[in-house]
Amino acid sequence: MSVSKNKGTNLLRSSEKSSLRRFLVLYFILVVMILSLLGTFYYQSQEKLMFSNQRTVLSNYANEQVHLLRRLHRDFPKKTKYPRHTEFRSAIYDIERVKIFSTLKNPAVNFDKEVYRTNNMIQFVKYLDDYYLGAKYLFVEIDENQDWYGETIRDIAILGLFTLAVLAIFGLFFVNLFLRPMKNSMMLLDDFIKDTTHELNTPISAILANVEMMDHDLMIEKNRKKLGRINIAAKTVSHLYQDLTYLTLDHNRRSKDEWIDLKKLFEDRVEYFAILASSKKIEFELDLNYSTIFIDAIKIARVVDNLISNAIKYNKRAGTINITLRSNHFIVKDSGIGIETDKVNDIFERYTRFNSSEGGFGIGLNIVKSIIEEYQLKIDVQSILGEGTSIRVDFEKGAVDDK
Amino acid sequence: MISKMILMIFLSLSLMAKEKMAKKEKNIYELRCIPCHQHRPYSLKKVYMLYLKTFSGETTFKASLKAFLKKPMEETSVMTDQWIDNFSVKNPTILSDEELDEALDIYWNLYDVRNKLQ
Repeated sequence: MSVSKNKGTNLLRSSEKSSLRRFLVLYFILVVMILSLLGTFYYQSQEKLMFSNQRTVLSNYANEQVHLLRRLHRDFPKKTKYPRHTEFRSAIYDIERVKIFSTLKNPAVNFDKEVYRTNNMIQFVKYLDDYYLGAKYLFVEIDENQDWYGETIRDIAILGLFTLAVLAIFGLFFVNLFLRPMKNSMMLLDDFIKDTTHELNTPISAILANVEMMDHDLMIEKNRKKLGRINIAAKTVSHLYQDLTYLTLDHNRRSKDEWIDLKKLFEDRVEYFAILASSKKIEFELDLNYSTIFIDAIKIARVVDNLISNAIKYNKRAGTINITLRSNHFIVKDSGIGIETDKVNDIFERYTRFNSSEGGFGIGLNIVKSIIEEYQLKIDVQSILGEGTSIRVDFEKGAVDDK
Repeated sequence: MISKMILMIFLSLSLMAKEKMAKKEKNIYELRCIPCHQHRPYSLKKVYMLYLKTFSGETTFKASLKAFLKKPMEETSVMTDQWIDNFSVKNPTILSDEELDEALDIYWNLYDVRNKLQ
């Protein structure tokens, strides 16, 4: 069987998207971290370059100031005017780091760095060998030229975004590469189901029609029971056929929305599944109010059929199925095996089954979910392991209902 | 005549009291440091600036100077070799630690550059 792209694969996109999203988030975080690190290194190197350029200028200013301090020291206290300049400001501190005099704009000096930025200013410290006026530390301060900062940030932003874009393209390429084997196996399964579905219709229809036509009254009890089993088996296969047909063919057709009487629909479907339920001695408890919903008839039938079918399939023997219908919601509740809390969200995934001991392809609830999403309905699953599962579907109150 | 004698005695007593008062108002620095140094070619202001240039901070300044005054040595003197050759090293101080500290505080505050720079 060849692997080809078909429309049926659209439904498996949710798991694919989830993997894709998780991978891309991780990839994005990693890339951003690496780029941030590179950006930081680049910024630091540019800052060092700027400091290196400024150090020469600041060192010259400091030497000039030292020369003037020496003269002031010699003439002190006849002359007490601290030397000031238009190009820079300065401060002197003694060996105990006590301020002697300062003309700095930013008084918070750092004794441990030779040159540093602070509040848009650059400060430089020179350690004096001769303590003129008691000064061990001479600080020189100039206003910072912000051009290098703007240029560096711009370079980091442009290069970072460009690299991010390139790496994002690589990321998408790798994701596709990694997902291809999974996609291929999903397609293979879809194609198999699609091909098989076509071959199921005629024999199932023939079996069901003939079972219905047979006169049960003329049969002996033993044969009637056997016929009942044939009917159950045929209906199970028929239900599966309906799901597979919907999955591979029907769900892509244009919807024909109309007002559907949900009470009647539930009663019909319960009657249809009654023989299947009776085989496990399961009883239906119906609490149905009149309610309508504007939806495609085939699609709402798939939702109801799958919820009831699952409630039967995963129920215990002699269990019950409660179906409640109100103006804006319905609930299908079983007394079955239940689902583990951490697996509740997985039940709508395609090819996922509650219990591997039961038959089926695990596509029923996936179909339900796709229809629920298509009509923007709300579905809520409450389940307790060993006690049962309750599935509630909320919909907009029908206009017809108000009459 | 008697009134002249009484006036003379009164004036003499007044002068003596004034001199005594003036002597009493002088602090330890003025009494024990200035008298010796005022006859030296190197003024106390110059010594201060020399110590400041060598020791920088107030604590180190006072500690170094105190140590030197208590035990003067050529090795610990900040004066030039030529100075020491000409005038030799001074004798150890006879002031007590408290008096020395008080004198050094006065000396530091007298020439403290922090209060004088403008």
